[in-house]
Amino acid sequence: MMSMRGRRAALPWLLLTPPLLVIGALLLFPLGRIVWLSMREYHLSNLVSGESEFIGFDNYIALLTDPYLWNVALLNTVVFAFVAVVTTVVLGTLVALLLVNLKVVPRVIVTSCIMVAWAMPVVSGTYVWIWIFDVDQGVVAQALMSMGVVDAGGYNWFADRFWFYAIVTLNIVHSGFPFVAVTVLAGLLTVPKELQEAALIDGAGPWKRFWHVTFPVLRPVFAVVTILSTIWDFKVFAQIYLMPGGDVGGSQMLNLGVWAYVRSFGHNDYGMGSAVAVVLTLLLLAITIVYLRSLFKDDEL
Amino acid sequence: MARRPLLTHAPLPAAALALVLATTSCGTGEDETLTVWIMEGTNPDATGFFEEANDAFTEETGMDVEVEFIPWADAQDMISTSIAGGTMPDVVELGTTFVPEFSDAGALHDLAPAIDDPSSYNEGMLEMGQIDDAVYSLPWYAAIRSVVYRTDVFEEHGADEPENWEELRETALELSEAEDDMIAFPVPGDAQYSVLPWIWGGGAEVAVEQDDGTWVSEVDSEEAREGIQFFTDLSLEDDLSTTGAVNWNEIDVMESFSEENAIMAILGNANPKAIVENNPDLEGDIGVFPIPGQEEGYSDSFAGGSNLAVFEGTGNEDAGISYIEHLTDPEWSVRWADETGFFPGGVEEIEEYAESEDPTVQPFAIQLNEAGRGTPVAPEWGQVEAENVIVGMQQDILNGNVSVEEATESAADEIEQILNGG
Repeated sequence: MMSMRGRRAALPWLLLTPPLLVIGALLLFPLGRIVWLSMREYHLSNLVSGESEFIGFDNYIALLTDPYLWNVALLNTVVFAFVAVVTTVVLGTLVALLLVNLKVVPRVIVTSCIMVAWAMPVVSGTYVWIWIFDVDQGVVAQALMSMGVVDAGGYNWFADRFWFYAIVTLNIVHSGFPFVAVTVLAGLLTVPKELQEAALIDGAGPWKRFWHVTFPVLRPVFAVVTILSTIWDFKVFAQIYLMPGGDVGGSQMLNLGVWAYVRSFGHNDYGMGSAVAVVLTLLLLAITIVYLRSLFKDDEL
Repeated sequence: MARRPLLTHAPLPAAALALVLATTSCGTGEDETLTVWIMEGTNPDATGFFEEANDAFTEETGMDVEVEFIPWADAQDMISTSIAGGTMPDVVELGTTFVPEFSDAGALHDLAPAIDDPSSYNEGMLEMGQIDDAVYSLPWYAAIRSVVYRTDVFEEHGADEPENWEELRETALELSEAEDDMIAFPVPGDAQYSVLPWIWGGGAEVAVEQDDGTWVSEVDSEEAREGIQFFTDLSLEDDLSTTGAVNWNEIDVMESFSEENAIMAILGNANPKAIVENNPDLEGDIGVFPIPGQEEGYSDSFAGGSNLAVFEGTGNEDAGISYIEHLTDPEWSVRWADETGFFPGGVEEIEEYAESEDPTVQPFAIQLNEAGRGTPVAPEWGQVEAENVIVGMQQDILNGNVSVEEATESAADEIEQILNGG
């Protein structure tokens, strides 16, 4: 017979079991399977037979010595994610600051509008951007040609790494900033008015008020939006894969996520593709840990 | 606004959806319903054909058939994932270039015991699925690419069908000048079968198997370079194409033709019917000529098409074989050919088309019979396609990133690396 105390201790676990089982089946199993795959020689024939050979870290060694990783995939991933996260968070915060100063009705209208950008399905959104930048007939090409900035033959920006990622960044920022704006807005509404007023009386300008009053209060909010944006922008897939040239193995446009997919399903090299995926996951974990530590370094959190 | 074909570029959601459909609609055990995957994208709407063909099959055998249409661009990913998940269809249409890979992997059921007379099938297509004595797929229809052109535009400006590369270029230049807002000859970047004829026409092979079983690619040979240079210069030097064509695949080229933007284009034998389906105004204004040779004769063009195969381990193998026999039976295969413009996979049936009076049929038949060629019969060739090696090469050249020499050299290296199992 269990004591009252024992029963109390068991209760949380009992309640947690169903969700843990679901998480285990949907998240931990595939994760473990990827790690397992990454240490195997696994091609199409292994897929059919179900048998494969353990090769230790061979896939990782091949991966880490591949110049393509350092010069293209990793570089694209990191630089793009950095630019996209900074732009998304800054723009989102500015929009939130605008929203908090609006009256209720205009605020609802503006919020609804940016929600549309957020609600846009990734694939449709990406195609809209591709159409806008269509090399021959896109609205941007037509405008630039009629202004004489680009000559009549047009310019294939999808072939240029910088412009390719500029378009991807537009796409990602456009669909990513509403989340930041809405979350930061929620945080801003909780900042006590007295703090702002006190700072105002002390003669602090808008920038000082934001940086010394608002930002410290909202630090956890910024931590959340930055980490989530970082995770999303590191593992961007469809927005790149669907772009012209974004699915060509060996092209200059792939990031780690797309490369993992192309290696797996293009090359039928599932072991290597999994190794790329594991490296991407470890990289994300490392960045998140470093970022969290630095953010809360001075706090008791 | 350009109208890009959404489906061909949206593999993930489509694949995910189809996976869900596949898991709900077919199991791996003995089943009353036969699941069949048929490719779509470059041929006219096939729904009506399959309704009737399947009804006839059900009447004969009492078995229901469910056909799912898979966009070509997603085919390889979807088949791989279905193998991994054990949710394969019973019968699948495979592009001939992918047949060696899936046969070699052991995913397909051996059809040899069911074949009475192997010589009744197109030999090249049958070979793609042959390993030793086993035959893993049967030819269903043959596809070939030639040059499709606007007869009305040619007539208006007094142009004749060109008979060598230089004439092709000159004709395109003349027409381009006469029809300012039309594209005389699109040079697509994302269409490898439009590139191969120039490699072959120049006198090179994509890859040759050596006595020791290794492969050597000739894409970087003098002959291949000359052909690729000629083809890409049509765009880069002579401005006969358009900058955006770098991102075009065969479907985009076809759409440009349907929309009356292109005067000539390398297109497949099912395309004229699909074009008229898209734009009935063009009926009667479409002509075809085989891709001319460098000096004379014809340049070889990619003879592809589709085979039908049965997956191993579905429990429905025998019914799958019956269904393949049903579709490849002249009654249905000839009808399929008539409706789509493809050629049947049977030898006797193909021969009839060479004598056809139809100007959009006979030149294709000539190209197939006299100047058709396949890609290297290696299990790894599918990876060369999936990795887009030739597409990458073509796009690099068209974008002006690298010279023909550099692009062909790295493409040849990649092809050798993949075919030799690196």
